[in-house]
Amino acid sequence: MNTILLQNLTNPNVNLQIVLPEMIVALTGIIVMLYDSFVPKQRSVTGTISLLGLAISAFVLVTMSGDAPATAWNGMVANDGLRLSFSLVFLFVSAITILISTVWTERENVPVGEYHALLLFATFGMMFMASGNDLVVMFLGLETLSIATYVMAGLRRADLKSNESAMKYFILGSFASAFLLYGMALIYGATGSTNVTEIALRIANPNFPALLLVGGAMLIVGFGFKVATVPFHVWTPDVYEGAPTPVTAFMAVGSKSAAFASFLRVFVLGFPLIAGVQASAYLHESWITALSVMAMLTMIVGNIAAIMQDNVKRMLAYSSIAHAGYALVGFIGAGMAETTAKRDEAIAAVAFYMLTYAVTNLGAFAIVTLLGQKNDRRTDFQDYNGIGFRTPVLAFTLSLFMLSRLGLPLTAGCMGKVLVVRPALEAGNLLLTIMVIVAVVNTAISAYYYLRLIVVMFFRERTTDWIAPRIPTALAAVLVITVVGVLYFGIFSDGIIEKFSKPSIAPALTAESRP
Amino acid sequence: MDFIAENLLTILILLPVLGAISVIGHQMFWKQDAHLKWVTLFWALLNFVLSLFLVLEKGGASASGFFFEKNVPWIRAINTNYHVGVDGLSLWLVVLTTFIMPIAILSTWHAVEKRHAAFYAFLLLLESAMIGVFCSLDLLVFYLFFEASLVPMFFLIGIWGGENRIYAAVKFFIYTALGSLLMLVAIIGLYYLHASATGVGTFDYVTLLNSLKSGALPIPRETGIILFLAFALAFSIKVPLFPFHTWLPDAHTEAPTAGSVILAAVLLKMGTYGLMRFNFALFPEASRELAWIFIILAIVGIIYGALVAMVQPDIKRLVAYSSVAHMGFVMLGMFSFTEMGMQGALYQMLNHGISTGALFLLVGFIYERRHTRAITEYGGLASVMPVYTTIFVLTTMSSIGLPFLNGFVGEFLTMVGMWTSEAIPHPWIATMFAGTGVIFAAVYLLWMVQRVFFGKLTNPKNKRLTDLSWREIGLIAPLVFLMVFMGVYPAPFLNRSREAVVAIEERLTRQAGGTIEHAEVSPKKEANSLPPAH
Repeated sequence: MNTILLQNLTNPNVNLQIVLPEMIVALTGIIVMLYDSFVPKQRSVTGTISLLGLAISAFVLVTMSGDAPATAWNGMVANDGLRLSFSLVFLFVSAITILISTVWTERENVPVGEYHALLLFATFGMMFMASGNDLVVMFLGLETLSIATYVMAGLRRADLKSNESAMKYFILGSFASAFLLYGMALIYGATGSTNVTEIALRIANPNFPALLLVGGAMLIVGFGFKVATVPFHVWTPDVYEGAPTPVTAFMAVGSKSAAFASFLRVFVLGFPLIAGVQASAYLHESWITALSVMAMLTMIVGNIAAIMQDNVKRMLAYSSIAHAGYALVGFIGAGMAETTAKRDEAIAAVAFYMLTYAVTNLGAFAIVTLLGQKNDRRTDFQDYNGIGFRTPVLAFTLSLFMLSRLGLPLTAGCMGKVLVVRPALEAGNLLLTIMVIVAVVNTAISAYYYLRLIVVMFFRERTTDWIAPRIPTALAAVLVITVVGVLYFGIFSDGIIEKFSKPSIAPALTAESRP
Repeated sequence: MDFIAENLLTILILLPVLGAISVIGHQMFWKQDAHLKWVTLFWALLNFVLSLFLVLEKGGASASGFFFEKNVPWIRAINTNYHVGVDGLSLWLVVLTTFIMPIAILSTWHAVEKRHAAFYAFLLLLESAMIGVFCSLDLLVFYLFFEASLVPMFFLIGIWGGENRIYAAVKFFIYTALGSLLMLVAIIGLYYLHASATGVGTFDYVTLLNSLKSGALPIPRETGIILFLAFALAFSIKVPLFPFHTWLPDAHTEAPTAGSVILAAVLLKMGTYGLMRFNFALFPEASRELAWIFIILAIVGIIYGALVAMVQPDIKRLVAYSSVAHMGFVMLGMFSFTEMGMQGALYQMLNHGISTGALFLLVGFIYERRHTRAITEYGGLASVMPVYTTIFVLTTMSSIGLPFLNGFVGEFLTMVGMWTSEAIPHPWIATMFAGTGVIFAAVYLLWMVQRVFFGKLTNPKNKRLTDLSWREIGLIAPLVFLMVFMGVYPAPFLNRSREAVVAIEERLTRQAGGTIEHAEVSPKKEANSLPPAH
């Protein structure tokens, strides 16, 4: 093994082209930082540069979509369906976050340059979480993302809530990172590799099977925290509520999808079921069961807690916990897939779900930001009383987003849900079927609080004065993009799903691998 | 013209959406609330006229028995198609929808006090979703329309409803959404059953039906029952079947008049239509096995609805509970599994739409005048509002099922169908109980009529009530005409639906013993025998 290592070190299989999208984002981040330190008083230049960088990166990614799945840098970086689809989601999320932030940065006088640079570095981290095919690369990506978001959560320095949010996120996040790292170390101990593809080949014959299980459990804890699944979700509401709304949007959508990307790669591609191998069967069954239970708890706790919230941001925070549960349903479906094609399809379904979730969530957060006013003061349900017909465009758009989150037909949310539920039902497994039914019942429960916002806006009368905010251009752009997105993904999802369904880098599954 | 004929159903579905957009555009540019109702009426009438082409079309059914079929791929990744078409089952329901809409819009002439543009836009969007429900032949598309119809209704009740509107709207939404979501799981389940049996997953109703008929898609008994129940729950809530009916009185009472009319006339029919189209045709074995539950619940609904209606102090609530009883009748006819019973049920669906729709309109008229619906506030109205009284009494008679009015035909067919049914042992018991329902209906409706219209005019507020205006007479007249016409000459309606009903009946009975000779199997034996294993 040492000779292989040595060979790899001396001949590192350099392929700059494969990491070009990441490099462009990082480079843009550096340019933004430099520009900001020389021209500090700017308001919109760094934003434009950032958007441009993200667009170029996305363009490069799309041109790479035709390439056959490949790895580079000694298998540390992969270019496959999972990377492609998730990275596009991240770039989209960052771009929209920058647009949403314009309102807030102006209102609160935030150092824009720093903020944009941090956002780009976070995006860079996220992209490596999707393209990393090695536990170490994933961890580096995760830390890059986390450190940037810790700072972003605390950007509103004068605000105690924002400070609290950043502090909580930092301490708990570090804790989770430690778990993750320890888990990775144990997996390395058990398999002798940190490369996901290698791990998948070696779990058939691990050095020490118990280590594999303990390591897997630690990884679940670590990723569970980042994805915010019950019971590792407790940080979410406080952090989401305290952080500035655009940052909340970014965390709720971006960080979550990024964590899902790594989570998917490690578990679905790294810990598959190998025919007739006891160790792999045991590991596979354990993680499927653990995640199924987590998914159900996540949906139930997230939704029930969301019902009880009086603050819209907190409601959205809890509902995004519940949404992690729905995405997990597709995740587990991917884990149970019997053929490689079906597995890739299920992974694409999760990526598509994150995309629909991103579109809907970002739109909702954009409106909440706009209506929130300084320091996000007006984010309680009662602040939305009767504003429906005072500002019909915003209110109907927000209603559309709520209905999409609920999963009503002809919206993105519905398509997302149908697609993630599908692989789980296909498995024909009792536990998974129960999970799907839990998901469905939870959707009906969630109707209560999503509708509540609509009820408050339209069905109640306003007693106090309220002036409709002017919609700035950047936000109008966000709303147009997200509304079109919600309807487009809801009605014409055909093309997108096809684009996302690209093969992943992993040892092929065979139909016979099922005992 | 060819284009219209080929895409007629799509046009019927999309035209109201276009109308809704035009209403909002009109509001944005002209800001004239008074114009909006005309614009809306125009679109609704246009849709009605176009829908009449459906009735005129005689031949041209495709191999699967559907007219105006259109099948375009939608999402290839999950093999779902935009597949629409009508047959005898859905034809009249589509026409009922387009027919009721202009009437509902006319009824709102002076009733809408706020947010006119949104009101009319939601009405039109609702029409589009309802037509979509009756036309779709792809299960996923059906589900989409089924769910989509909730949203406009939710807003209609929530914004323009009565005092307790928020509670009613949310209850309506969550109740129906829960049911239909479970149906979605069953739909996806069917997809995979088909995928594992034939290699290709499909949501297409016709394909599924053909696979089931040819035996290419065997459904094990337990699976069939679970799927049947998931579908049936969604539809039973919509019907609503006792004990899932509790959303209905609230929604009906709180909804604005136009909303109540549409709710009664069309939305409830989605449930019974769905049961007949999907439950019966896709899961005949499970239908036969579980028929007794639905028959019992239907009878409980008929009697319970009638008894509760009797003690309602509010006229609108009374009519709402009468809906529970009437829809129980429809369910009874359907679950008789006889041609006559199902034809009667189908006819009764139309009747209920017309009669109960008319009753809600009439209640709306008086509510606009007095702003109360309490029976005790009225009395002796016959002396001040003779025209109104005449029409009201006639509608009541139609609702009760007086001979030569439409209700009679439907109820008669239903009862005869039930009597000869082989779905349960001793069907005459069920028929007898259902019969008492007719008597109860006469009691609560006539008692209400007596208290509201006859006797002395005691309340001074009622002395200056004006009789119906020409607009009101004009909008109720088509309904009254249909009540009489459908009562004396039901043949054209029944003829058009026979073929589809017979197909379903055959499907239900052929599976029973593997042959069509169901007449020889004794009712009891048949009901108890398990479906043969395929």
